[in-house]
Amino acid sequence: MQLVAQIVLNGVLLGGFYACMALGFSIVWGVMNVVNLAYGSMIMIGAYVTQMAVLQLGLPLAAALPLAALATFTMGYVLQRALLNRLAERSVFMTLIFTFGLNMALINLNLILFSADVRSLPDVFGRASFTIAGLSVPYGRATIFAVAMAMTLGLHALLNWTPLGNAIKATSFDPDAARLSGIDVPHVYALTFAIGGAIAGVTGALVATSYSFSPLAGESYTMKAFVVVVLGGLGSIPGAIIGGMLLGIVENLASLFLDSGYRDAVGFTLLLLVLILRPRGLMGRRFFAEVKG
Amino acid sequence: MSSSSRRRLVAGCLSILLGLSTVMPAAAQDMIRFGTALSLTGNLATEGKLVREGYDFFVKTVNERGGMDVAGKKYKVEIVYYDDESNVNTSVKLYEKLISEDKVKFLLGPYGSGITIAVSNLTEQHKLPLVIAHGAASTIYNRGYKYIFGVLNSIDHYTYNMVKMASEQKLTRLALLNENQLFAQLGIDGAARQAKELGVEVVYKEKYSSGTKDLSPELEKMKAAKPDMIIAGGYTNDMILLARQISQVGLKPKLLGYLLGPTLPGFVKSLGADAELTLEPVQWSINVPYKDQIFGWTARGYADAFQKVYGHVPDYHPIQSTAALQVYYNAFQKVGGFDPQKVRDAIAETDIVTAYGPIRFNDKGQNIAKSMSVVQIQDGKPVVVYPADVAETKLKLNP
Repeated sequence: MQLVAQIVLNGVLLGGFYACMALGFSIVWGVMNVVNLAYGSMIMIGAYVTQMAVLQLGLPLAAALPLAALATFTMGYVLQRALLNRLAERSVFMTLIFTFGLNMALINLNLILFSADVRSLPDVFGRASFTIAGLSVPYGRATIFAVAMAMTLGLHALLNWTPLGNAIKATSFDPDAARLSGIDVPHVYALTFAIGGAIAGVTGALVATSYSFSPLAGESYTMKAFVVVVLGGLGSIPGAIIGGMLLGIVENLASLFLDSGYRDAVGFTLLLLVLILRPRGLMGRRFFAEVKG
Repeated sequence: MSSSSRRRLVAGCLSILLGLSTVMPAAAQDMIRFGTALSLTGNLATEGKLVREGYDFFVKTVNERGGMDVAGKKYKVEIVYYDDESNVNTSVKLYEKLISEDKVKFLLGPYGSGITIAVSNLTEQHKLPLVIAHGAASTIYNRGYKYIFGVLNSIDHYTYNMVKMASEQKLTRLALLNENQLFAQLGIDGAARQAKELGVEVVYKEKYSSGTKDLSPELEKMKAAKPDMIIAGGYTNDMILLARQISQVGLKPKLLGYLLGPTLPGFVKSLGADAELTLEPVQWSINVPYKDQIFGWTARGYADAFQKVYGHVPDYHPIQSTAALQVYYNAFQKVGGFDPQKVRDAIAETDIVTAYGPIRFNDKGQNIAKSMSVVQIQDGKPVVVYPADVAETKLKLNP
């Protein structure tokens, strides 16, 4: 029982990370109908920026994290403004092809700049862990969870309680009406993509501290983000959290009770079930998907 | 021009051509050609370059000494190279070209197990020997093929010395974990067999899916089995995660070995303390005590001579390539000629010592004379700790 509780707790911690990772992917998909296949590569860039900031500039992690976010925010804004906006409101296949190509370009750029070596930041949190009700929680994973939750709340606040949030939502529902109300739609699109980028950057910083990264490792993150978003519902913040946690817990329990090799199989079975029984995702609203068609 | 002078001209040209054609086979006879397709571009290009350097180094060394000495005659050596672009299909086509168009009779292996499996289907069909320098999957050798020979230890033998160390250190509870992927599976299955043979109990054995972000369920279960040694296999990303989480869940094995990882770039730097005292089997190290019976150099002598030419210290890749060519050289000398079938039979009887290690093949074509050295990370540096005649320093156990 103790073991099961520990595994579920680990699943929750992992789920928090999944949720955080999926947010940036979700908001871009939900608002602009862009499935950003280069998302994982943006996470990797966040990780590289963090590593350089820590190892070469000697910054503490707390300072490196916003730096990584800023780098990918800027990158996101420029990409959307300069390139993706030209494809906005076109067929989703155009943007798919574009982000697919962008991903290849970024992977190869990273290969040239950083080589294919696998990297990671050494021992930022150490091996230490604390205990709650007899269950051990490693500081590293707890920190990731806390940052992920903070970011989720921050994004929720931004979307619901600020003029920018209103503009983003309005643009998402109906770009033409938004344009008529005086919203600078290309700017809002670019900002949305930039916010998604910033989330990828923060995720990258977290990856650098607890996982390892290499130019080619990004794709596994894109894949996970995709699953979480479809599970939870497009563009929904609570959806990302619920989808992430559900996936984390189910994966871990599958590893515990079944052969560990079935981990992904169980994850994807869950995804299939949700798609069959509730195609818009657990927390998804019908409206989003239908408006975007 | 009169018709007679024209005739004379034609005759002259003909005689020149005839002259050439009698000279050319003579030149070809004094030149022995090998052929291979390597990953010179694409995602395996880094390794492909090292592999080629090892082949080239043999050619350069032998040709500088006047050529290969076979039946009292000197033969210069040449290798026909193609670039397989790290692609299996391309590789098979190129070997087909080597065999049917370039008429190469003596083939050298490509880089990587997947490509080697595909290529060996072809060479076996043509009944031409293929000496493999860089294909470690045991599946290559388990198909009953008669014309393939690998100078390196295949994956199922990787862990043998690590398990042997465990049994010598009186560690009796072994836990095994691998990525759900062919290379790691073959290696860890090998470890399970060796444990049985050496009387070490396997208390935990499982696999996990590639690219997983949390190995704690596996490790918690492993912890409950109370292992005193862990051997894990998978690619670097997962192994870094594993090393971190092993300490996070509070597993404290006396020995922790990996199929690969600790000697790869980034592992020690990324993990710091968590990399300390981890083990990895290696095909070859500069410290192996063998003296080459063909070239007379030691492993260190090889490395020095190699470095003078290529400007860097060789890892195991180049010397494996060189050893493959030495297998051919030895067989040519035994046969006293170049008949492919006779050469194949002589290769099967190989029993030589090279700076890479001793080479003797079993009936599957695996080199059973050599064993893997075991490297341990001590103070952040890889040092050879096993077997005793190769060790730079003593094995350390975790407290």
